[in-house]
Amino acid sequence: MSDAAISRAVHPWWASRRLGFLAAALVIAALPMMLTGNYWQTNLTICAINVLLALGLDFILGYAGQLNLGQSAFYGLGAYVSTLLITRLGVPFWAAFAAGVAFAGLAGMILATFAVRLRGHYLAIASLGFAVITYQILLNWINLTQGPLGIYAIPPPPAITIPGLPAISFRNPVALFYLVAGVTLLVYFILDQLVRSPIGETLTAIREDEVSAASLGINTALWKVFAFGVGAAVGGAAGCFYATFVGTLVPDAFFITESFTILAMVIVGGMGTLIGPVFGAVLLTLLPEVLRGVGDLRLMVYGAVLTLVVLFMPGGLVQAARVVGARLGLSR
Amino acid sequence: MTATIVAQQAINGIVLGSLYVLVALGLTLIYGVLVQINFAHADFVTLGAFAAYFVMHALGGQYLLGIVAALLVGAALGWAINITVFAPLRRKGNELLPLIATIGVSVMLQNAMLAWFGPVPYAFETPYSQKVFRVAGTFFTLQSVIIIAVSATTIALLYAFMKFTFLGKALRAVAQDRETAGLMGINPNTLIMLTIVISSALAGMGGAMLAPVLVLTPFAGASVIVKAFAIVIIGGFGNVEGTILAGLLVGLIESFTTQYLDPGLIDIVVFGLLLLMLAFRPTGLISERREENV
Amino acid sequence: MRQQHLLVATSALGLIASVAIGGANAQDKTIKIGALLPMSGPGAYFGSQDKQGIELALEQLNKSMVNGYKFTIQYEDSACSPLPASQAAKRLLDQYKPDVIIGEECSDATLAIMPIIEQAKVPMINAGSSALKITDPGNPYTFRIMPNEVMQGVDIASQAYNKLNARTAVLLFENTNAGIGNAKVFKETFEKLGGKILAEIGFGRDVNDFTSIATRVAGLGKIDVIPTYTLEGQGLKITQALAQAGVVKGGDGPAIQLGTIWLPFGFEQKAGKAATGYVRIVQFDPTDPRDMVKNFVSAFKAKFNSDPTHLNAHAYDQIMLIADVVKRGAKDAQSIRDMLAQTKSFVGVTGSVEFDKNNQNVKMDTIHYMETQPDLSWKALKWN
Repeated sequence: MSDAAISRAVHPWWASRRLGFLAAALVIAALPMMLTGNYWQTNLTICAINVLLALGLDFILGYAGQLNLGQSAFYGLGAYVSTLLITRLGVPFWAAFAAGVAFAGLAGMILATFAVRLRGHYLAIASLGFAVITYQILLNWINLTQGPLGIYAIPPPPAITIPGLPAISFRNPVALFYLVAGVTLLVYFILDQLVRSPIGETLTAIREDEVSAASLGINTALWKVFAFGVGAAVGGAAGCFYATFVGTLVPDAFFITESFTILAMVIVGGMGTLIGPVFGAVLLTLLPEVLRGVGDLRLMVYGAVLTLVVLFMPGGLVQAARVVGARLGLSR
Repeated sequence: MTATIVAQQAINGIVLGSLYVLVALGLTLIYGVLVQINFAHADFVTLGAFAAYFVMHALGGQYLLGIVAALLVGAALGWAINITVFAPLRRKGNELLPLIATIGVSVMLQNAMLAWFGPVPYAFETPYSQKVFRVAGTFFTLQSVIIIAVSATTIALLYAFMKFTFLGKALRAVAQDRETAGLMGINPNTLIMLTIVISSALAGMGGAMLAPVLVLTPFAGASVIVKAFAIVIIGGFGNVEGTILAGLLVGLIESFTTQYLDPGLIDIVVFGLLLLMLAFRPTGLISERREENV
Repeated sequence: MRQQHLLVATSALGLIASVAIGGANAQDKTIKIGALLPMSGPGAYFGSQDKQGIELALEQLNKSMVNGYKFTIQYEDSACSPLPASQAAKRLLDQYKPDVIIGEECSDATLAIMPIIEQAKVPMINAGSSALKITDPGNPYTFRIMPNEVMQGVDIASQAYNKLNARTAVLLFENTNAGIGNAKVFKETFEKLGGKILAEIGFGRDVNDFTSIATRVAGLGKIDVIPTYTLEGQGLKITQALAQAGVVKGGDGPAIQLGTIWLPFGFEQKAGKAATGYVRIVQFDPTDPRDMVKNFVSAFKAKFNSDPTHLNAHAYDQIMLIADVVKRGAKDAQSIRDMLAQTKSFVGVTGSVEFDKNNQNVKMDTIHYMETQPDLSWKALKWN
């Protein structure tokens, strides 16, 4: 099923793409007003960061069909490169952000160059190995990264001043959410353009059948490297935001299990669509928070829910929405 | 002095490596037959360790009975995960779904064990771990001797089963070519069930063998499983002989990295080797006809 | 002294305390305590034991009232990690609105929470994180009742050099904030005194088999002391491996293993003969002859059917310290903070508390040196 067909199925006729983005922007604007309090507003920011991570992985996995278990490494590289530039060299935030994104993207391309010959679980384990090594380097290269000693008091992005208006300080959690969510929406827009362009078709062709794609004259290796670069760069952007948002950086945040959490977000949402991972990320971020009420058993319930979703809703939330939509007669 | 240290670290590495082999063999068997990864394998190891602990304590120090109990618990878990996860998902035909589902099972099992057994480490003392032999400047415990003996016996039995029994031959046939197995007139579902049960029984038994070595908490298996993945790859996915060699190799890497570099660098060396293997010899240490993955 | 007696009374006989200080105040006045503790993952090791100490303290306090106040508690799982900990803290502050917080155990998590509680102006009492930064410079709302890594490390290194006549040492430590920090302080102090560090061996928390590390240590020549910074699980394996390798006294070797406050009471029984000769500091000595400790140990045994660990005792003292400031007149977050800062002579089961200007407890009587005897019992060395 192509992305276009699914989005036609999910969105009824009145939800054209442009209206969709407008609605998304309105929802983002309204959310901090509906969910008040520091706790819920910062949960929103975590959702936005996780959406970025899931979108990046989905581009590699869902569109180019490359099973990447190393997303946690790109996440961590983005976080550490940008933070070290800011705290050690005094590089301005947005320059450090760009460097973090570029470094993560480059790391993704290097890994892909190595790994393009591999497929399926071999690629999965190679990328997992890359994530293990990255984590261990962050942990052991104490002179550079502080390792487990951690980096503290990482400043928020600098305030934006627009003449005639009060300065927008990102110490305010709502402003920070708008910033992260705004960038996430922009990334979504760019990826959406990409996957509906000839590039998207090329990637899907490689995913569906690499041999016939190659016989059509597509340089499959090059495009896989491209997909890894884009997905890893998006993961790196999430890492930059993570560091400035939490203010504390320790390597444990980028342990390999983080890769599985991101993978679960993509699968639960519905891989190979862009809207699916958005909802998958939001669901799996908020579920453990909502389950805090359950007390000590919350992660047990989380694991059970994850298993049940995969067993009974293998196409993810997107497929479920499509089934429900069809039942209600909303789609044409 | 130096020669003694080298000999001692070789002993240490082989003892640890044979434990890794027990855990990795199950993973590699499942991969060979199903082309699937069972993430909950780590927790089967942990549950096997706890089963051995409780049976041993209930029966007044009968470690060998504890091993048998762990084996049975592992087999039962394998049967259960096949019924609930692998069999239903195989009909849906997506290779990623079982991976995610078993991650869910793993999270669930770890936290169930946390609620049940608590987070305080258990001291698993077998009657054999206090008995230390000192030979030519080296030392090893009776427990290590038992670990090597049990691992070697298990590996030999498994090998004989695969090579000489009809079912074992069928398993290897499925691993190489599904259609051939169909031609042999064997229900592939039965074979898959058998594979998962055997693999999980190995995990449980591995848990019982590891228990005196591990820091026994609900997270014990999780600390071993990442290395087991590396072993499976270095050995060549689905290749039993390769897995045995790779397991011993990783054990030796671990002891010699500790001696001459730094324990913090073990994972970097192991996974660096893994990436090099994937780049230059992706079929594993021992080549086999599995070119389709490369 | 009067306070000390009252506190003994409170912990042992809540009834008498209520008559003495409870009075006839309004019944629904409560002090809300928030607990940020790791309840999931490997860090649950801390959280589950802290919870027992807290429950015992609250049960005793709430039999009556303190200055007309009852105590309620809300736990949040802070998972020993910065992001979950800051989420847990924000949730607690937004929804439960505590007057005072206790937690976290892991230094990274505590450091991540500190700016949040400072902004909310709610005091936090910490008993488990040793990183220097927490109280140096720290912030006005964060209090620590146990010695920091420098106080512990300087003391252990000096005692090793002076009392044990140690001149060579090998450092074994987990690669965590606390492990690296403690080992560094030992090294600096020991070298300044004239001792020699033969090797510094750090390892991740996922290392299980310590035979290789013990082999390496055995090949390093004559070692006097082996300061070891790990939690209980890895600590057991290290001690046994060092004994098997014939390095330490427990394995008929010459070296003495030195330990930190991280190991609980009962460690020796789990480690067996290998622990013989181990010298370590404990922050809680259940064999302490003070009445307060005896009462605590017997009440704990009655409730949980096991001996209390230092984690149980620390959590108990954290709650009792809160009760102490309430007794001194504190009634909300700000007054609890102010009263806490003035604490000069609180006496708990782990020792006494007096905060310096950075809210760090300066009392060293919380450090007790113990030597493990061949029958696995403790001999108090009375070095402090």
